Order: sequence, then C-alpha cells, then structure tokens
Amino acid sequence: MVNSIGIQNQIAKSNYNSVSFGNNNKKTEEIESEHDKNNKILYTEKKKHPVALGLKIQTDKLKNAFTTYPKKGFEGSKNANFYEFLTMGTVPYLMGSATLIGVFNLASKFFDTPAAVSASKVGKKMGIGVLFYGLFKTFSKKLVETPVNLKYGIDNTPYVKTVNELPEERNKDNLVAKEYHKIFESVDFPRWDLINDSKDISPEQKEYFKNNKAEVKEKLIKTKLFSTVASYLWAATGVGIAMQKPWENLELNPAKRVRNFMNHRQIASAAKEQGQKIKGYNWFAKDFGKKFIDSTKEFVNNGSKPAKYAGRALLAAAVGVTLLGNFSTLFDFNKYKGSKVNGASSLIDETKEKVIC
Amino acid sequence: MANVLNSIVKNQTLDKPAVNDSTPFNRYETKDKIKPMEYKGKLLPSRIIGSPVEYAKDLKQDVVNIGRAARGKSNDHELGRINDLAMKLGSLALAGYLFVKNPLKLSKTMEFVGFGTFFGSMALWPKLAIQAPLKARTGVDIHQKYIDSQGRKKNVFLDPQYDLTDLYDQETLNKTGDKLGVSKDIADRNNFIKQRMKKTAVQGNTLWMMTAGFATPIMSALTCNLIEKPLNKLYEVLDLKSTEKALNKGSEGFVKSELNYLKNSKTQKAFSDFLTNNENELLDTKTIGKIAEKISGKVNSASFKNTIEQELSNLGKNNVELNVDFIRNNLSSVVPETVIDTLTNPQNEEFKTLLKEGSLDKISNMIASATGGKRREQQKLFNTVYTTLDNAKKQMEIPKVGDYKERIMLLYNDVAKFSSGKNRIDNFVRARVGDNSGSYIANQWNRVGNTIVNSLDLKNGELKSLADGNNNLLVNKLKQLAQNDDKFKATVGDLTNLINDYESKTGTQFLKTVKNESTFVCGAGEKLLNSDGFKKTAESISSAAKNGTLEDLINVHAKERASGAQSSFYRILQTLDVFKKDSTGQLESQIAELLVKNNAAEENIQTTAKSLAGKCKEIMLSATTTDYIEKLQGLTDTQYKTVMEVLFDKNLDSTIGEALNGKPGSEKLVEGLNRYKDEFMAKIANWENSITPQLSARVVDGGKKTSGLNAVERNNLVGKPFASLIQDVSKTKYNSRKWLMIWGGAMAALTAATLLIGLTFGRKNKSEKMAEEENKVNG
Repeated sequence: MVNSIGIQNQIAKSNYNSVSFGNNNKKTEEIESEHDKNNKILYTEKKKHPVALGLKIQTDKLKNAFTTYPKKGFEGSKNANFYEFLTMGTVPYLMGSATLIGVFNLASKFFDTPAAVSASKVGKKMGIGVLFYGLFKTFSKKLVETPVNLKYGIDNTPYVKTVNELPEERNKDNLVAKEYHKIFESVDFPRWDLINDSKDISPEQKEYFKNNKAEVKEKLIKTKLFSTVASYLWAATGVGIAMQKPWENLELNPAKRVRNFMNHRQIASAAKEQGQKIKGYNWFAKDFGKKFIDSTKEFVNNGSKPAKYAGRALLAAAVGVTLLGNFSTLFDFNKYKGSKVNGASSLIDETKEKVIC
Repeated sequence: MANVLNSIVKNQTLDKPAVNDSTPFNRYETKDKIKPMEYKGKLLPSRIIGSPVEYAKDLKQDVVNIGRAARGKSNDHELGRINDLAMKLGSLALAGYLFVKNPLKLSKTMEFVGFGTFFGSMALWPKLAIQAPLKARTGVDIHQKYIDSQGRKKNVFLDPQYDLTDLYDQETLNKTGDKLGVSKDIADRNNFIKQRMKKTAVQGNTLWMMTAGFATPIMSALTCNLIEKPLNKLYEVLDLKSTEKALNKGSEGFVKSELNYLKNSKTQKAFSDFLTNNENELLDTKTIGKIAEKISGKVNSASFKNTIEQELSNLGKNNVELNVDFIRNNLSSVVPETVIDTLTNPQNEEFKTLLKEGSLDKISNMIASATGGKRREQQKLFNTVYTTLDNAKKQMEIPKVGDYKERIMLLYNDVAKFSSGKNRIDNFVRARVGDNSGSYIANQWNRVGNTIVNSLDLKNGELKSLADGNNNLLVNKLKQLAQNDDKFKATVGDLTNLINDYESKTGTQFLKTVKNESTFVCGAGEKLLNSDGFKKTAESISSAAKNGTLEDLINVHAKERASGAQSSFYRILQTLDVFKKDSTGQLESQIAELLVKNNAAEENIQTTAKSLAGKCKEIMLSATTTDYIEKLQGLTDTQYKTVMEVLFDKNLDSTIGEALNGKPGSEKLVEGLNRYKDEFMAKIANWENSITPQLSARVVDGGKKTSGLNAVERNNLVGKPFASLIQDVSKTKYNSRKWLMIWGGAMAALTAATLLIGLTFGRKNKSEKMAEEENKVNG
C-alpha cells in the first residue's frame, strides 16, 4: 500500500537533509560525532542474534504503527515524518489481509450447512492464500539478497536513529523518537558514513565499500529490482498453491482438532488391545505440511492441461527471475567491460564544476 | 506565539530543501566548485482522477526504468515505482493463472474483474473518501503532485519534513487560507497557511493508512458482486447466440466443414506422433485402452471408450505360420539341440506335416517323445514345450500398433469429424438446458424463483424463515398475495413472460432443432464410419436397429433437462391458481360440487371439502413423486378423484384470466399449461380404476403399466415442489443478502466514519488559535 505511492527515495531525502544541510557553522567533526550519538549501527547485534533483532525491530515498528504514529498523524503533528508514514503502511497490509479473509469467511457462519461448507472451502483457500502471499513475498526476497550478502558483504544492516523532536501542544516532554532504518535502504544515499564509523565492520569490508561505491550501488539497484519482481511472482505462486483442492479438507477449528485427537487416541488404544497398530495422529504441522506438498504437486502436475502448464509457467517465472537476479548481481560485468567507473575512489570528479539537486 | 517560534527555530536549524537555497555543500571540501542547481520544479494541476494518457505515459516510463535498473542504473524514486508495477504484474500473473485454472467463463472473467476492482479500489478509496472531501472543504489537495527538476512526478506532502509549500503561488495560498479559516489580519499569514496545509495533509495521509486496509478488499468485493450479475446475463446471451450460430454453420455441410476443421488440427498431429512413437508396441489391452482414450476423449460419453476398445480389438490377428525357425528360436533353451536338429531335419516329413497342421498339442507331444526320457519326465517336458510355444504364438499373433497405424488414424479422423459436429450440438444444448451455472435454464430458474419470492413482501427475518423451510409462513404469504389482486396479476404477468421465454428457447422448436441436427450429424457420422468399415462404432452413434445410441442420448438428455423445469414452471402457475381460488372460496365450493357429482358417501360435504382444499394446497406445495402417497394416504377413491379433478381443472381463476388477457403469448402459455395438465392426468393421476388398494402401486410406479413412464420422466412431469423451489431461492437470497448486509454495512460505516473524521482535519487547535491571536497586526 505504502509502496503504491512509490516515492521511497523520500527517506533518503530526509537522511540526506539531516546530515548535510543546516548546521552551517558546525565543523565536519562535530557533525560526525553527532552521527555517533544519533545513529547506532546494529551490525554486531545482527551478526549475533539476527532473528531476535529482526523480531525486536518489527515488534517495535508494529507497535508504533498501530499506536504512536496514528496518534501523531491524526493530530497533524509537526514531528510526523515520512518514516512514520511508511511504517504505518504495515497497517493496511495486515488489516487488508484480515479483511480479505473476513470477506470470504465471516458471513458463512450464518449460512445453512451445505452453503456454509462450500463457502468455507473457498474461504479457507483464500485465508491460506493471504498467508502464503505474505510469507512467499517476504522470504523469496532473501533468495536474491543473501547470495549478494555472502559474496560481497552487502548486508542491509539496520541502524537505530534517535530523533529529537520539537515540543508540541500535547507533548512537551517526550521529545525523543527512535527510528529503525537500514544502511542500504536508499540506493541514492547509502549510509557510507555509518559504515566508516562502525567499529564492528572489518577494515577489508570498509575498504571494499570505499573503493567500489559505484559497483555496490549498481548491485544494490539490481538486487532491489530482481528481489522485488521475483517476490511478487513468488507471492502469486504462493496464492496459486493455496488455491488447490487439498486445502479444502484442512481442519482449522481447534475444538474439532482436539475432538479428532481424542477419537484417534481411543481408536489407537482399542487397536493396541487387539495387537494392531494404526497410523500416528495427524498433527496440525504434519497435516499442513502434507497438504502443502500435495497442493504444490497439484499446482504443477494435476488438473487440466492448460492449468498445469499455467502453474508451471508461474513457478518458472518466479524461479527464472530469481536466478536472473542471482546471475545479474553475482556476475561481475564490469570486470569484462573494463568499466571506468569501477574502482574510482570518489563519485565526484573534484576538478570539474557541477550542480547538485 | 510558541508555535510561531517553533516554526522559526525549525526553519533555521532543521532541514531545508534545495528550493531557493544556496547553502553550500560544506561537507566536502569542494564547496567552491559545487553550486545548487537552479530549481525547475512546479506543481501539476490538482486532479482527483488522473488522465489515462498520463497514466500510459507513466507506465511507459516505468517500463523503460526497469530496463535501466536491470543494468544497474536507477534511483529510489524509480525503484519505488517499479515496486508498484511489479505488484500489479504479480497480481496479473496470478489472475492469469486463475483464469486458466477456472473452468467456467464467468469465473475466468471474474479473476480479472477481481484484479481490476482490487487495484481500482486501492486507488479510488483515498481519492473519494479522503482527498476529494478534504479538498472541497479545506482547499488542500493532500495528494497534490509536483514535477521535480529531473522531471519526476512526486507528491508534495509525502514527507512533512521536506517542505515544498513554496511551490504554491500566492493566489492558491490565499484561497486555501480562506477556506482553512486562517485569520486575514496576521503577520506572516503565508507561513500560517502552509503549516495548516501540511497539518491537514499529515492528518489525511494518516487516515488513508488507517482505513485503506479495510476499505480496499470490501470495496473490491462489493464491486465484484455488483458486476457479476450483469456479466452473467451477458455471457448467457452471448452463449445462446454463439452456439446457435455454430450449429447453423455446421448444417451447411458436415463433411466439408469437418474436413476443414481437421486440416489444421494440432491434436490430430499429436495423435499421429503418438502412433509413430508407439509403432512397435503390441496392440494389447493396455495399448488399446490408451489409444481408445485418445480417440474417444473428444466424444462426451462414458460408454464410447468401450466401443472404440472393441473396435480396436477387432482389428485382426496376425497369422503365425509355424515353421522350423519358430521351433528352433523358442525351444533352444528348453529341449536339447540334438533333438531339435533331428526333428527339424528336412527329411522328417512327419514333423513337417504337423507344423503345417499347426497343432501345438501334437507338436509338443512329438518333441517330448523324441527326447526318449522316462514317462514322467516326458510329461513334464510336454507341459513346458506346450506352454512355451503357446505363449510365443500368442505374442506373435498380437499385431503391433504399426501394423494398423493407418486404420487407427482413419478411425481417429472419422471420430474427430463426427465429434466436432456433436460438440456443436452439445454446446447448443448446454447453453440452453445445461446443468451448469450460467446456462439459460439455471438463470431462468433463478429469475422465476426470485419473481415469486419478491412478490411475497417478506419482512425482516421472514426470508430466513422461508430458507429454513417454514411452510406455514409460505401458506400465509401466498394467501396474502392471492388477496392482493393487483400484485397477484403483476406476478402472474411477470411469470408469463418468463415461462413464455423459456418455452421459446427450450420448447418444441428447441427439441426439434436438436432432433434434426443430431439426426443429421449422427447419420453422417454413422455413414462415414460404416463406409470405412468401423461397424461397431457406427452402430453406437446412430442405428435404426439399436436403442441407446449417441443420437438417442443427445435427444433424451435435451428433452429430460427441458421438461423438468417446464413442469416446475407450470406447477408454479397451477399452485398460484389453486391459492387464488382458495382465497375466494371457489376451491372449496368446487370440491363440494364435485363430491356431490361424484356421489360421495360423506354426510358433511362442507367439512370434507374444507379438508380436501387443504390437501390440494399441501399437494401443490410439497408433493414429490414418491411422497404423493403420503399426501394422499387415507383418501377414498371419490376424494382422490375429486382432488385430482380440481387440481388439474383447466378453468383458471378469473384474476389469472384478467392478468393474461391481451398479453402477448398468453394463449400459448395456457395451451402449454393445458397440455401439461392433460399429460399429468393421463400418465400419473389416472383414476378410472379404484384408487384403493392400488393407490400405492399407482403412485409409486406412476401408473407405469398404462403410461410407460420411467422414474426420471415421472419426476420431470411432477416437477419441483413449489415449497422446495421457494426454499432454495430463499436460501440463496438470504445468504447473499446476509453477506451484502455485513459487508455493505461495514463499508457504509467505514465511509461515514472516514468522512466524519475528515471533518475534524485542518482545524485550528488551541495553540494555533493563540498564535494567530498573538500575531494579529492590529491586535
């Protein structure tokens, strides 16, 4: 939703402004030391506890997206900024997903049994579709990003930014806000300063970044392009898999699952008395996994011929764009082209007059 | 005042955009050589809905940008736009997949409709519910676009910390300030206006984020719901037309058109390749099954595959001539070499004769004896030799696919030609009376049902009650309808139109067309297959001597499907007639008269007449073929006869007569209804013989002895019980109404809340009011 407004570079603009303009009388060192205070790169934290850090950041952002930021936004706070607006973009994603599931499920409980059964089949598939859309989209991005990280160390490490806010009518005391950004979230303005200042990043890696800014930027752009396009194709593939028949029989009602489990135990013990063995209970994870495998098979193999080929084509497109992304980002074209840009120590040729935007 | 100070402090210390700013880029030592670019940005015209031309231009630019990004050249703005485009492409790919996966035309189209409405709602919701009302009230277009120095289109208020309000001209600022209620007599009024504009935009954008998640899916689902009905109707009309056109085209000349059909057939080529690839396969049961499936796949009939299998297994056997080589090849590992050499010696005339005769029994015996072993061993050897030779012979007798490739291909072509003709008839029948959603009969059924349910004036909760099968309520509602002459007439009028339309599309003319076409196509198919020597297949398609051919099936299917709904529709009119007569007391008096006329034994005719009137209504509402017995249990012969005479009386109630009077097609309708009544009386309600104790047999077997109706025909003639039709329609109506109430209600509430919240935006808060006060020029 937020992306639909399509001007992510505004984040960059705010960063850019906050580090470059204003404070005209301050010396560069003073500004640098302010960076240290206001921006903390979470390199070590990410290396040590990547999952915990990710969860912490997401939880914090999610909490703010539903509470602090809307409050500030509705008041028209002068401290509201684009970061907050973007973070609030999670709200329509989550609420939209829930509503979409609701549209297909909520009314069916009023229906009589046959209608409810058929509505619930569709509803179940839609619900799983929404879930898979999110999961496939998020994790597929890693398929393009991780190899680039492993080969070049271009890791989109988060950093926490402390923002000092202006006093307002209803808020005069709590004037410090925390924002979580990523060092490469902007391709126009990667945070080279934070990389340079970081004590945790190895000197070799810093040297690489310092000498290959153009190449890194090129790789960032390609990574973003291919991971984005691939992620939506994977998301579509996820929904496609969710639309298959096996999901119709997935029991989601916890009460019914407990009842089934009790029945199964009774049958199993009765069978044991007679010296027979029956299959183990179909736990939810196992059941879900099996249905996932069956649905994936059905997606590419069963059904009518055109449906089968369409499923394969969708999967092939997702895999193809991912591989193209891997190839495009990992293969060093410049080496063979003999690019003049590559290896230049600075993007700015200081001998020439130029304009900036 | 504090506020003004804040803004001054902020302007001095915080970010300032490049607009008219000559701040040196002092971070680098190159400040003397760098100077800001002259600003060329400007506001774009404020529009709620953008023009398609602009949209196309932007799309073109995005595609170009993707190409650049693939070469590593892009920026954040372009990557953001690419993300949008990729999201749409991903969704389009998904819609494409679901389009292919879905078997029904309407569902296929709805996938793309869903795609369109989803993205349409995503774009329209903020415009209609937030942007437009705010712009009208405050003058602030929260999605005002500008074009920056690089020619990129962006939103002015996207980042509140990136102030672009300098782009507004004085006139716009003044107008907006007036609408926002900014005092006119204050110093630095522009600054106040700009702050309030930014504030309004922040509020509007927040509202957008908070509501879009609910609004987009609901708006999209409601729009889909709205579009589905007319789309369904459109497909119905198109289907009726296209299938009729195809059928007429087919009649021009079976052989000619079917040959043309085959000329570029890819499936024919694929089948030919399949035969070539399997040339060396034996034409055994398994292979025959595979080939038969491919040939019969085009003909929509379960038994046709068996026919083709039989045809293929009749293709013939190879004549295997037993000779010396056959013996040598197959027995070399079973019988000692010397024995074979002795026997196959050209001088051994006896063995030669045996080979010529072909008797495996005798040959095996001679071989076993020639080894000269013990009797038991000879017997054992005989068995082995016999089995080996028998198997080898059978294997050699089975022809290979390659031996009959041309014949099989010919059979394929003949069947394909026939099936292309048959498919046109099948499609013609399916579009009209097919058992699939979207067919004419399915839609007409819904239209008839809806007409009645709509005429019943149902209040809250009553629809649910009818959906649950509350017959008492239905009886009451029908009574009310019967008492309201105008409404009753209007309902009968509407039903007449619907039933006449049904008759015109699925009646005698339809059956005649199907009959003619099937005779023509099946006849041509039979002739073709016969002339090529495929007698079995020809016979299964059309035959004067055999029942159950494909031709018969086509006609029986069309007739059964059409007549079921037709009887149900006539039964609806019949039911309305009975209820109308009941409401005027005519029903009871007619029964009483008939009881007297039929010499009823009852003493109290009036009481019996009343009870039988109830029976009549009960039968009309809910009697099916099988439970007629329940409904009629306990009646005497006379009572049964009376009930049937009343129910199937050809004199309609006078109000129905008035409703039909002068209406186009009404004569035809009455004619059809009378024909139906005659048929029912003749085939099901025949009462000439004593009703008791044969009632059970009469009803259960539907008077089979006299009418010869089978179970399906009997069911079709009885039609769907009125109550059951109403229950089905009520269920569907209730479900969709419930869904609509929940989500339509949610959408209405969300829209109202959004508009109300929007009303509070852009207003001055306390400190803003104070600041204005303090800044008053004359204050």
